[in-house]
Amino acid sequence: MKRKLLYPIAVMASLALALTACGGSQTKESAKDEKSESKAEAGSKAEKADASAQSGDGLVYWSMWEATEPQGQALKEAIDAFTKDTGIAVDVQFKGRTGIREGLQPALDAGTNIDLFDEDIDRVNKTWSAYLLDLEELAKANDYEKTANAGLIAACREVGGGTLKSIPYQPNVFAFFYNKAIFEEAGVKEVPKTWEELDKACALIKEKGYAPITSDDAYILSSFGYHLSRINGYEKASSIVKDGKWDDPSVLAVAKAYEDFAKKGYFSESIASNVWPAGQNQELAAGTAAIYLNGSWLPNEVKDIAGDDFQWGCFSYPAVENGVDGIEAANFGAQVLAINKNSKHAEDAFKLITYFTKGKYDQKLSEMSLGIPADSDNKEWPEILSSVKPVMESLKTRYPWAASAEDNADMTPILKENFTKLCGGSITAEEFVKNLQK
Amino acid sequence: MKKNSAILFAFVSPAAILFLLVFLYPILRTLCMSFFKIDGVTDAFSKWQFVGLENYQKLLSTTLFRISMGNLFRIWAFGGILVLSLSLLFAVIITSGIRGKSFFRAMIYLPNIVSAVALATMWLQYVYSPKFGLLKSFFTMIHLDKLARIQWLSNDHKFMALLIAYCFGMVGYHMLIFASGIERISGDYFEAATLDGANRLQQFRHITLPLLKGMFHTNITMWSVSSVGFFVWSQLFSTVTADTQTITPMVYMYMQIFGAGNSVTERNAGIGAAVGVCLSLCVVLIFQLCNRLFKDKDLEF
Repeated sequence: MKRKLLYPIAVMASLALALTACGGSQTKESAKDEKSESKAEAGSKAEKADASAQSGDGLVYWSMWEATEPQGQALKEAIDAFTKDTGIAVDVQFKGRTGIREGLQPALDAGTNIDLFDEDIDRVNKTWSAYLLDLEELAKANDYEKTANAGLIAACREVGGGTLKSIPYQPNVFAFFYNKAIFEEAGVKEVPKTWEELDKACALIKEKGYAPITSDDAYILSSFGYHLSRINGYEKASSIVKDGKWDDPSVLAVAKAYEDFAKKGYFSESIASNVWPAGQNQELAAGTAAIYLNGSWLPNEVKDIAGDDFQWGCFSYPAVENGVDGIEAANFGAQVLAINKNSKHAEDAFKLITYFTKGKYDQKLSEMSLGIPADSDNKEWPEILSSVKPVMESLKTRYPWAASAEDNADMTPILKENFTKLCGGSITAEEFVKNLQK
Repeated sequence: MKKNSAILFAFVSPAAILFLLVFLYPILRTLCMSFFKIDGVTDAFSKWQFVGLENYQKLLSTTLFRISMGNLFRIWAFGGILVLSLSLLFAVIITSGIRGKSFFRAMIYLPNIVSAVALATMWLQYVYSPKFGLLKSFFTMIHLDKLARIQWLSNDHKFMALLIAYCFGMVGYHMLIFASGIERISGDYFEAATLDGANRLQQFRHITLPLLKGMFHTNITMWSVSSVGFFVWSQLFSTVTADTQTITPMVYMYMQIFGAGNSVTERNAGIGAAVGVCLSLCVVLIFQLCNRLFKDKDLEF
């Protein structure tokens, strides 16, 4: 009997030993957390905040930024001031792009205490729609829309299925950015509004010895998407890409337009081998190329290379002959903040969102990250983005990211390979279409 | 004796039980997931839709997945030949009594301790740069203008560029394994061979190589496992969106589970799981092949 018992007892004892070892380290961890939290707080409101954090009354914010980025630094500053003003503790966790993309949904599914989070407008509203709190009532109660960017709020409602489930901040637009000094030197007086005008401008720029257009592998496909959407409108363009209707005449038309530009030598010599950020850093910012299709975050990304004297210009992707959409359509959007539908502190979370996206801290975020302010009362945009303002204000139709070009994940790399070759001049428009049909 | 084995089992059991829980459960779950359509990787079972073998059929009929498997094979085969040959060569050199052995060993191993991000940035933005790159400058200097004009990161050369950069960082690791194997061989054999008039090459061919069978087995297995998990370098060589020359099954799996690039694309963790199952089968197959090819049990030294 004793012998029979020996085996299970020994197993249980060893298991218990193994598990207590794990448990021990957890206890140590949490004790360490408590210690660091209590050290960090001081003052009466801060003490209250500390207490609220420890009792679970504080807010937990999962951020898409890194703590070292200007956006992360600005948000941290806003959070510190928010806690000081309101006594509400905020546990901010800077997860970064990959961290939030991979980790948010599993964490929410596991019931992790997360009150608010942020990411791109489309990902939040489409991929994570099931986790979002409807913000219509909170927005109304706080009169939020009075000073919000109406176009972006409308975009949030549109992607949120007709209701407001996210609040935009750090607005951005995807358009052609250019070096004004090169345009002036080449005698290009007006920004191109049509493909023909772009053709003429490129010819003048090339004459002066500059590469008119450059790009990087990360963004080059947006050119294809924009052109296809200009011809067809986004919905049809997207269905062409998703359903592989490569025999649609508009695909060949896009290819012909780019083949023509490649033949005329309008693209940088290294466009076929530019791995991000080579094109934006070594060509556009370095002043050897004039135009680059990218987001309004570009000037901030290359500011250290371009220098203070770089004159930034911006224009919407030109209209094409007989196209459905014109320069009033573009991929514009924002990062958005959203509240977990299971949050017990939705009102506090909305207060924090308001703190981030209005007045002083919205302005601060704009200044620190050289971004566009979200509050319509914050009329001062960073000088570097002054030419983006008229473009942003003229937009009426919104394209999602890459304007259809990346809507079919199984085709994106194949499309990218062939479009890059087309711009590099190593294949013809017909070969481009044929390669997609394989 | 009986008592001892009971105690032995008792102390092995916790580890075995935990191992089964931590490894066997995910394996079985992944296998099960591969027969379902699942939007989010952590979706509740009630949301899973049974699709049978559809995920596998879709994978086989998807050009991009076939391209990714082709790339994986090229990395494994060509990269394997390159890395293992160089590591063997370096291992033989540094164990041959060369002066400054520790220095050379450290230098060759050095890329292993540098972050892959830093290494990739160096290769991408400096070595391969068509403007001021190391290769361009070098070939220009020796007047090989045709080679200097090569765009190393264009689609036609990108795979080669990736492979060279990756292998550069892998040689040191495998060299150490070979070197430890060579050092294990008693010097008596070489001494006797020298007395019998065998030259260095003959010694290598008839003593070192046969006695390194076990090390070949280890190295090929390690190389295969790391090749199958090829992900970071692929991501670094094609930021934001994947690339036909650098995509591997792991990248394809990531795209299926977390979405591709910046666009919001359809996700299916079931296909991701099916990719995982295929990759596991590849590793098991390679492992079995290695076991058959490199039987070293008949050798004792």
